[in-house]
Amino acid sequence: MSILVVKKAGALTLIEDSGRYGHMNMGITQSGVMDRYSYNFLNKLLENKSDTNCLEMVFGDIELKSNVNSFIAVTGALCELFINGEKKQNWVVHKIVQNDTITIGKILKGQRVYLGIKGGFDIQSELGSVATTLKEELGGINGAKLKNGEILACNEYIECTPKRVSEKLIPTFEDTIELRVVLGYQEDSFLDSEKEKFFSSTYEVMSQSNRMAYKLNGETISSTLNGIVSEAISLGSIQIPKDGQPIVLLNERQTIGGYPKIGVVIPRDCSKLAQAKAGNKISFKKISLEEAIKEEKLFLEFFS
Amino acid sequence: MNYKVSGVDSIIIYLGDTITQNTSDKILSIYQNIKEKNIEGIIEIVPSYTSIYIQFDILKYKHKTLFNIVKNIFKYIKIQEQKIAKAIEIPVFYGKEVGFDLERVAKENSIEIDELIANHSSKIYRVYTIGFAPGFAYMGEVDKKIQTPRLETPRELIPKGSVALADVQTAVYPKNSPGGWNIIGRTYIDMFDKTLEGFSYLNIGDSVKFVPISKDEFIKNGGIL
Repeated sequence: MSILVVKKAGALTLIEDSGRYGHMNMGITQSGVMDRYSYNFLNKLLENKSDTNCLEMVFGDIELKSNVNSFIAVTGALCELFINGEKKQNWVVHKIVQNDTITIGKILKGQRVYLGIKGGFDIQSELGSVATTLKEELGGINGAKLKNGEILACNEYIECTPKRVSEKLIPTFEDTIELRVVLGYQEDSFLDSEKEKFFSSTYEVMSQSNRMAYKLNGETISSTLNGIVSEAISLGSIQIPKDGQPIVLLNERQTIGGYPKIGVVIPRDCSKLAQAKAGNKISFKKISLEEAIKEEKLFLEFFS
Repeated sequence: MNYKVSGVDSIIIYLGDTITQNTSDKILSIYQNIKEKNIEGIIEIVPSYTSIYIQFDILKYKHKTLFNIVKNIFKYIKIQEQKIAKAIEIPVFYGKEVGFDLERVAKENSIEIDELIANHSSKIYRVYTIGFAPGFAYMGEVDKKIQTPRLETPRELIPKGSVALADVQTAVYPKNSPGGWNIIGRTYIDMFDKTLEGFSYLNIGDSVKFVPISKDEFIKNGGIL
């Protein structure tokens, strides 16, 4: 049997794919990889289908024992990668054979590492996706994070084009990032002076940030609305609760909510935010819907 | 009817400002029509109290085009009034050992516990939207006499099946989760089941009635105290 044996699962390793769609009307969140940029490159490197599953890791110290001849790659946050103790590069295709030991050591820069294998892991999908959502107990293996001793079935591959991502396309995971925002939803309930404050301030990523949302701390922003009738929430929505501190809602967001929203972070920049750590600095830049659509189309075309 | 941009690939269409049966009828009729048509390139449709959210493929649609499609649908469909004839019944054990806030809710509203139970279980509620968690159905409207605001501090753990009140809304917690609603009873019905056709026990637009049952009946049917 072709498998990878999980010797050390790490503190928070999840099986993810591009997400679970079409079920928000039942309260099911979209989930999926937090950094779509790194994920798309992972599948491009391995010549996988665009929604092939992979591992998303927030903490290092992970060890996998190979019982298969295949190819792997690691993208996302900069981390130490070893095959049989030998240091290897990230964002590059590596051949693995039977009895190889793959190790992810420390995560050096960024927040989430992606490890993929050619053809993906053989995981039963739930509601159209293998994306793990812990609070819903959906996806992955029994809706849970990866555990020591688990087995990941996969297929044998003899050939894979040796590829690497060019240096200039690899994110640098800076401590200060700018996120592009399209105004929308209840933007009219924010006075011009409040919008100005929002776009000229610097916010700090709070430690409570996770796959559901990134909580920010900085200048308080106020809406003329106290609350709104609950409505559906899109990826990247910037919610302003009563305390005035923005919350950016990400992959595992609640499907509906009742706080006013000033706008949305564009999808490309949600990936950047997902790599930010507590204490990192965030600022927002307004862009037009047309610019945002152009940017998204270019992104989709690049990976198609 | 108007819309706002809710993302690079989504719009949110508003059909009213306040929660009314009439607005909800319009939303449900549009929602059901779009669902039936199975329009290619629509990724999500999420109806709520006063809005419909649509996520779409940007290689196929522009925001404005999609809004016009919905506007046209609205022009030609017949708005179905939701029938309340066949309500789905949810058996509830209204007891202090499972209804942590039963006594307080009664006290705050200056009514007896029995009266509170009779009031909650006599009305037919409508499912306005599903969200927050899988299978969590927001139902309304709760009678004025028993409306109770959310807890100031949410509880860390509300047991699965808990029947809850928050202002004009009532709901059943589909699984153990944190939450800030007032708990007045518990049902043994599984509100969300991955093996169930449609997954969710209740759907948007359903009519629902809570039926009081005894502790014995609750336990006999698999209810857990």
